[in-house]
Amino acid sequence: MFFALIGILLGLAIGLMLPYTYNTTYSLYISVAILACLDSVFGGIKANLEDKFDTSIFISGFFGNAVLAAFLAYVGDRLGVPLYYAAIFTFGGRLFENFASIRRILLKKRKERKNKQ
Amino acid sequence: MNKTKKPNLIILIFSLLLGIFMAGQLKQNIPILAPVTLRSIQTSKNEINSVKEEIEDLKSLTFKRNEQLKILESIASGDENIINILNEELKNSKIAAGFEKVEGPGIIIKMEDNLSEGAFGQEYDLDLIHDIDVLRIINDLRGAGAEAIDINGQRVLAISEIKCGGPIIRVNGRSVGAPFYISAIGDPKLLNAAINAPNTYAYALRTIDQLNIETTVKDRIVIPGYNGRFNYLYSKPSKEGD
Repeated sequence: MFFALIGILLGLAIGLMLPYTYNTTYSLYISVAILACLDSVFGGIKANLEDKFDTSIFISGFFGNAVLAAFLAYVGDRLGVPLYYAAIFTFGGRLFENFASIRRILLKKRKERKNKQ
Repeated sequence: MNKTKKPNLIILIFSLLLGIFMAGQLKQNIPILAPVTLRSIQTSKNEINSVKEEIEDLKSLTFKRNEQLKILESIASGDENIINILNEELKNSKIAAGFEKVEGPGIIIKMEDNLSEGAFGQEYDLDLIHDIDVLRIINDLRGAGAEAIDINGQRVLAISEIKCGGPIIRVNGRSVGAPFYISAIGDPKLLNAAINAPNTYAYALRTIDQLNIETTVKDRIVIPGYNGRFNYLYSKPSKEGD
């Protein structure tokens, strides 16, 4: 949990310092992809807390979901159907689910620690 | 631990990557968060086009103004005769105001009362052409882009009245009787459509009231100028604050 937070903050700092930018046209796709990545990271944290973390699943999910989300947004844009909503709903919903699981696990651990004391 | 040795490290690395992506998105400084759809692209394209057209118009306007400026400068330096130029301008102004005879392609509309025995309605009123009929047809013609209109030789200007005068109608203060010949200069196709297309006012007059309305398209129609005198009594040019 804290590793992810630290990572995101560090990444933000690095990204803001790096001089690279991309075309504004792609910002919609990238934003959907970021949502997918965020979901993957939350999923990874949850799996880690449950001791079920698998690197290959995590990495493939991280990139695969991002690419799929961006692709969906792009295809939707071409077809005139806002398909990126699908990505937003799925990943947004899962984000909250994952967060709920993480919360529960952390609270449980805390309770156990208190009981030990 | 199972397969993975340092899940925290991997999560850290990928969060780092995510943060870098997010920073890239932040740096875009997107003013509107609404996604760009094809429709919004289309509307902004249209806006750009209209602005471009406006720029073109303004450019041509500056070009014209520059030419005028050149003429005025040549007058100031004494190259051209000022009387000639003023005469030319006077002529142009007269044409624009409708005081000059003009010619061009257009249509002639003949409007005649319903002369048949079995008249429509029970009242004679419905078989006759009224001032309002003529007015509405003229309005249709103007809507179709007519540049010059006359009724039986009376030029119709912005100041012309078309009023009922019993068995006749009055145009420009003169009496005009049926049959009415309305000539209009403009795009003959458009003018013809304004009169003959279904559900126009003339169409209703022809089919329901059974008035005789005939149109002829001509390549050359001569329309006389306004032959009255006109002076503004009450209106004065209003000075715009500059």
